[in-house]
Amino acid sequence: MNISVKEWYKSGSPWVWLNAGAVAISLIMVIGLLGLIAVRGLSHFWPADIVQGTYTVDGQSKTIAGEIVETNEVLTKQLIEAGIKIPDDTEFSTRHLLKVGNRDVYGSDFSWALEQFFTDQSRPTMLFTAERREWGNLYGYLRSLKEDGKEIGHVESNDESAEYLALWAELDKRVERALDIREDILEIEKHEIGAINYELERLRLKERGLQLDNVTDQAPYVAINQRRKELDQAYEGMQQRLLDLYTQINRDSLTAEVAGGKVVDLQIAKIVRIFRPNAMNTGQKMLHYAAKLWEFVSDEPREANTEGGIFPAIFGTVMMVLLMSLLVTPFGVVAAVYLREYAKQGFVTRLIRIAVNNLAGVPSIVYGVFGLGFFVYFLGGNIDDLFFAAAKPAPTFGTPGLMWASLTLALLTVPVVIVATEEGLSRIPRALREGSLALGATKFETLMKVVLPMASPAMMTGVILAIARAAGEVAPLMLVGVVKLAPSLPLDGNYPFIHLDQKFMHLGFHIYDVGFQSPNVEAARPLVYATALLLVLVIALLNMSAIAIRNHLREKYKALEM
Amino acid sequence: MTMEAKTHSIDISALQRQNQSLRLEDETIALTVRDLELFYGDKRALHGVTMDIPKNRVTAFIGPSGCGKSTLLRCFNRMNDLVDSCRIQGQMSLYGQDIYERGVDVADLRRRVGMVFQKPNPFPKSIYENVAYGLRIQGINKKRVIDETVEWALKSAALWDEVKDRLHESALGMSGGQQQRLVIARTIAVKPEVLLLDEPASALDPISTLKIEELINELKKDFTIVIVTHNMQQAARVSDYTAFMYMGDLIEFGVTDRLFTNPEKKQTEDYITGRYG
Repeated sequence: MNISVKEWYKSGSPWVWLNAGAVAISLIMVIGLLGLIAVRGLSHFWPADIVQGTYTVDGQSKTIAGEIVETNEVLTKQLIEAGIKIPDDTEFSTRHLLKVGNRDVYGSDFSWALEQFFTDQSRPTMLFTAERREWGNLYGYLRSLKEDGKEIGHVESNDESAEYLALWAELDKRVERALDIREDILEIEKHEIGAINYELERLRLKERGLQLDNVTDQAPYVAINQRRKELDQAYEGMQQRLLDLYTQINRDSLTAEVAGGKVVDLQIAKIVRIFRPNAMNTGQKMLHYAAKLWEFVSDEPREANTEGGIFPAIFGTVMMVLLMSLLVTPFGVVAAVYLREYAKQGFVTRLIRIAVNNLAGVPSIVYGVFGLGFFVYFLGGNIDDLFFAAAKPAPTFGTPGLMWASLTLALLTVPVVIVATEEGLSRIPRALREGSLALGATKFETLMKVVLPMASPAMMTGVILAIARAAGEVAPLMLVGVVKLAPSLPLDGNYPFIHLDQKFMHLGFHIYDVGFQSPNVEAARPLVYATALLLVLVIALLNMSAIAIRNHLREKYKALEM
Repeated sequence: MTMEAKTHSIDISALQRQNQSLRLEDETIALTVRDLELFYGDKRALHGVTMDIPKNRVTAFIGPSGCGKSTLLRCFNRMNDLVDSCRIQGQMSLYGQDIYERGVDVADLRRRVGMVFQKPNPFPKSIYENVAYGLRIQGINKKRVIDETVEWALKSAALWDEVKDRLHESALGMSGGQQQRLVIARTIAVKPEVLLLDEPASALDPISTLKIEELINELKKDFTIVIVTHNMQQAARVSDYTAFMYMGDLIEFGVTDRLFTNPEKKQTEDYITGRYG
């Protein structure tokens, strides 16, 4: 078959191909991006084998052990130029990035090892990994177990032996015990003492308020002091219990020999988790992986956010987005209804529409500055003067916090909701409005009973777009309420349960903080990917729930297609 | 005998009433129109229309497209208020009360003068809620009252037997003819005095049309009906009085039988004999 180029062009197929190609490339890029962050992020939680071997440089040998985190090929010439004595018989040399841990012993967690210097590689089953609350991982062999400083068990050999395993089992039990005690301690410190502190603070504010109001009647002061005494007593009791628990938790310790021969002490209370990856089979590793993943999404961060979980950040993000949606929907809908239904169409409404559309294009940091200046300092400052005078000079709302962050983002996204709602209102068939009016309904009744319900899918579209924009926003939040580490969640059991004045954590800011502000960038890098993946998932989930609501509404009001 | 077959078997001539004896002078007048002029911006759409619409009768407006019959109909319940550029001169009253006077409660007027549109426009709610809509707007919330009224309205609209088992299903699942009868039920549920029908059967099939026509004949016992129609046979079948309009003028108005058999004006005769329109 013979088709000329001209005919082929006229048939339109080049454009179809071009479009298909563009779609395919976009899809590949999105899938590739998600795949990259998923692989990089999720592999971090896998309990990798610990490789041990002899590393010989300049005739000096030492034993090293660690997880192989990364392997790459470098130009041999480059290495020689860097001063490393290496035969240049090959063009490339393989090198590994080893996570050697033991930061307190070696000074750093990571070290590069050239494959050709790294000999006698083995994976000894008795080598263990201990995740510690401070100083990162410890890799080593168990030497002894102590209770109150007295040795209760001892092994010399690094080989698999019955006595090593027995000691290991004993250690496992004691780690378990320490973790249980820690839970009790946390319960007391966080919740019980937290609640007491919270009430004490409220009492202090109440007293200060009374003083400010020049109340001379002594009765309320006496009542406050009475309650304070009770609380102090309860506090004393808890303090005593805490002391007991601390003595108990600090009872056990172990000694371990790390690669290089040094023997170190480790308090069992400092251990998060201890395991021997080389002795684990795939099933055990999967269980371990699941536990680590669960810790990541459900636990609080440790060690300047480079370890542990990111639950407070997930919670803060979701909470902020939900609050933002609650704030932006009524604002946007009311504005759109006025613009479309009530305002006289003319020059002024045109001007307002242009302004609204342009608001959507203002850089988000500008909103952040506005939020800080207007909401935090002006509004918040005035609210403090009016309602929280007792707490001064410490600000309550006059400082960045959850409410101001939500409001700032609501302001940022209100144009989207206005535009979408107006679009929806304009699509309601005239016949339905007339039908309602003809039954004796006023314009307002028609709006409330017919027009707005039918426009609700369009409003939801606006909210979906608002969520998509707000959840990914970081820059303005840094000015109006997001912090690196929030001591408590903005929602808890203390009255009034939602603390809109509190600062909170946010996944987007967490990524920035972990990736670029962390003292241990190498260790934090996988967490950046994992957090990014989680942020994408959270936004997708928020959007999907909004879409589900919209589809439900559409199903209900599908008369528009008539 | 099935419902369908029964409908077919109705003799159309039975619908035509012996109305030779009707005389406008003997009727109670529901709506009066005096020198009504209507402008869309600068364009004059109605040129001084004057007519009386009798109570409990069916009055049909006929005429070619764009002659102003729908515009005139929409004046009776002030639907034209919704058009920004629309302006009205002259007088129009319902039982002597001026419709366009200052201070008239338009919502109440529209309740008293109900309207059914060309295309069925049920709300995206259940059948029951569609009929109850007008009642709820009036602040009637007693379930018993609403239940009774909904049943009465649906029965009056000859729809009850078809929908009584699915009152709480969406109205959008009904056929076009059922939807139009639902809209009629919805309109009469608020007990209006006048029923305005703007080409109520033009979007329907012949069987549905027939049902609507039967319904109109039933409803005129309780309501004053004004119907706009394109279809002259329909006007002849259902109406007692007919007004022929052309280019914004009311050309002729009189008892239907007389107008169709013995028109006074040449334009009327030309139209009903099919010479234009």
